[in-house]
Amino acid sequence: MAVPELFRALGDPIRLEMVQRLSDGAPCTIGAVSAGLGITRQGARKHLQVLADAKIVFLEAHGRDVLVQLDPSGLDRAKQYISDLQLRWDRRLEALQRYLEDG
Amino acid sequence: MNSTLQDSIERQITVRAPKERVFQAISDPEQIVKWFPDAVEGSLDLGSRPYFDFGSYGKVQVFVEAVEPNDYFAYRWLTGCDEVPGGYTGDVNDLANTLVEFRLEDTPDGTLVRLKESGFASLPADRAERALKDNSGGWDSMMSRLETYLAQG
Repeated sequence: MAVPELFRALGDPIRLEMVQRLSDGAPCTIGAVSAGLGITRQGARKHLQVLADAKIVFLEAHGRDVLVQLDPSGLDRAKQYISDLQLRWDRRLEALQRYLEDG
Repeated sequence: MNSTLQDSIERQITVRAPKERVFQAISDPEQIVKWFPDAVEGSLDLGSRPYFDFGSYGKVQVFVEAVEPNDYFAYRWLTGCDEVPGGYTGDVNDLANTLVEFRLEDTPDGTLVRLKESGFASLPADRAERALKDNSGGWDSMMSRLETYLAQG
């Protein structure tokens, strides 16, 4: 479920700031993406993992560092979610119909 | 990559029941649980913020945006939250949300129920506006940049 995951992943000021820093599409180091946010490197990695799990960013080992980059598949998943949602609303409306006609 | 995100979905169904009954079924907490959430905590009156409880998936707060008896009922929620284990119990208006609208029309066969969920593409703008108002920063510029980024694909 792309959209709820996006909500949950983005629903945090630190992660939002990280995404903002990545929004020009260029790869960033963990240090650059978390500088000045008042979090440890360990904390930064946790936040980035949440973003990676929601497929908002890629994490890529680069020598001793990790590079972070926005993942363009996020929007594709959002689109898929919307087309799935039509089927779900159809099911819900059919449940409404059954309740009113059979109940 | 196609750069635009569809903003809304619309579905409809005709129910062999009068508008009044359909309206009750979608706006009365005791009836909505017969076909939608497992349980509702709170009222579905205008401006209220009840929780929809989806059982094992968890609860989500909704915000009742409009109530026009027998014609129109609308609420905001976090779309898809009914299928996310754990749900979301914070303030629905603190996050980007979508608007769910039910419009009822008389037909010779009963009632035409038109469902619309909208705000997918405008999630960023909505949230940006709130962020500006709250002076919390972050979202506004992030979302506009994210939009630009996604548009460039």
